[in-house]
Amino acid sequence: MTDQPDLLAQFSNALATRAEAAESAVVAIRLAHERHITGMLWHSGIVVASEQSLPRKDEFELVAPGGAVLSAKIAGRDPSTNIAILRPDAPIASPSIVAGAARTGAIALTIGADGTGGASARLGLVNLAGPEWHSSRGGLIDRRILLDVRLARREEGGPVFDASGSYLGMSTFGPRGQVIAIPTATIERIVPQLAKDGRIARGWLGVALQAVAVPDALRETADQSGGLMVMSVVENGPAAQAGILAGDIILSIDGTSAHRLRKIARHFGADSIGRRADLRLIRSGAVMTVQTTIAERHAA
Amino acid sequence: MSEAASRLAPAERLRVAVHAVDPRRRTALGKIIAEAGHVVVGVNDAAEVVLVDGDTPPGERRPVVTLGGADDDLPGVLSGNADASQIDAAIRAVAAGLVVRLPGTREGGFGAMRETLGHALLTPRELDVLAALAEGLTNKAIARRLDISLHTVKFHVESLFRKLGARTRTEAVAKASERRRDETITL
Repeated sequence: MTDQPDLLAQFSNALATRAEAAESAVVAIRLAHERHITGMLWHSGIVVASEQSLPRKDEFELVAPGGAVLSAKIAGRDPSTNIAILRPDAPIASPSIVAGAARTGAIALTIGADGTGGASARLGLVNLAGPEWHSSRGGLIDRRILLDVRLARREEGGPVFDASGSYLGMSTFGPRGQVIAIPTATIERIVPQLAKDGRIARGWLGVALQAVAVPDALRETADQSGGLMVMSVVENGPAAQAGILAGDIILSIDGTSAHRLRKIARHFGADSIGRRADLRLIRSGAVMTVQTTIAERHAA
Repeated sequence: MSEAASRLAPAERLRVAVHAVDPRRRTALGKIIAEAGHVVVGVNDAAEVVLVDGDTPPGERRPVVTLGGADDDLPGVLSGNADASQIDAAIRAVAAGLVVRLPGTREGGFGAMRETLGHALLTPRELDVLAALAEGLTNKAIARRLDISLHTVKFHVESLFRKLGARTRTEAVAKASERRRDETITL
């Protein structure tokens, strides 16, 4: 026998202590049919949640740490970064939040709300910490954080902590059930704008686009090898009003080649609203230019 | 009617309340419900299911099937132009305690804007051929539909296989639909 402390027991106790403390960091957001998702307590009494999983309602019931039930109103949602915020009717104490930097291979403790005022915990690694990326809805996410952890639907939207208890971000589901974190930096950037305006303004044409190769016969006239084919046009949207048709292949928008999706996405920031945009496109074998006016995108 | 069937029939007849702001819609939906063999009851009467055109009135506690409502967390969610058979199926399912959703509403997850590399991008013609493949058409039928030669169809199919990294027609259709799901952007 030695007096050496058992490292595994220490590790386990440390995790359990962290999970217990994290109870004060989450709320349950009640949905219909006895279900819930998790909300993350943020600065100044705001609750942050995963936008994609929050039903389109104005008001929700929350279960605060300890089990008190109160109601909260949606104060803003941004599908482009998957962040929604709610304002509870009565104040809930916010924990102190320190942003942590995700490192590949580092431990990630993912916390969810259990629905009765307590927390549930998941242990995994940061599977991959990468550079910034653009979501399919055009939002800029400050870092790519993939987590090596399973997550229940009810746990989505909770905080992800690193080993020192700093916030790596908010857990959410990526494509094919992959678990990712929306970085704390992104939440810090988006929440104040959402709290002020209720939304993140973005430009909108009202089209769904898919990248296609320009047919060989038109490559010379088009002077590029790829474009974005219009798959659908939203009725009465700016594109529809300008006469854009499904099947048109957009080559460039105001001179920016439609080849580069990210550049195009940047073209549709808040400052684009109301601006005229020239769309160079291929329609029935001819290259033409159509003028549109960028409108404001409304919540999906 | 057999004894068993007559015993079953009343159980399948549901009491349905119809809520629609537009009186013409209310009449049309009531007709669909009645023709499906259910009983249309008043908005405030006891009902197994409430069929709502658009958004649900606040405080509704009974199981709701919405047609195009913004709340996607109700037991039944259909689009505004759902047909009579879909409405009937949704009402029966919701009355039986099931949840009804349109396909494609909750798949995906929050993903990145993905880009296929230039040389693997499909041409509009290849997309036409792909749509025909997805319908299970033979090369000959595709040639007829698109008014191109059989030789050209084979050329396009081979090119599709190469660009999508598929070995069979089914695999090509599956990979293309996955790509479409991941790479469609909305502006």
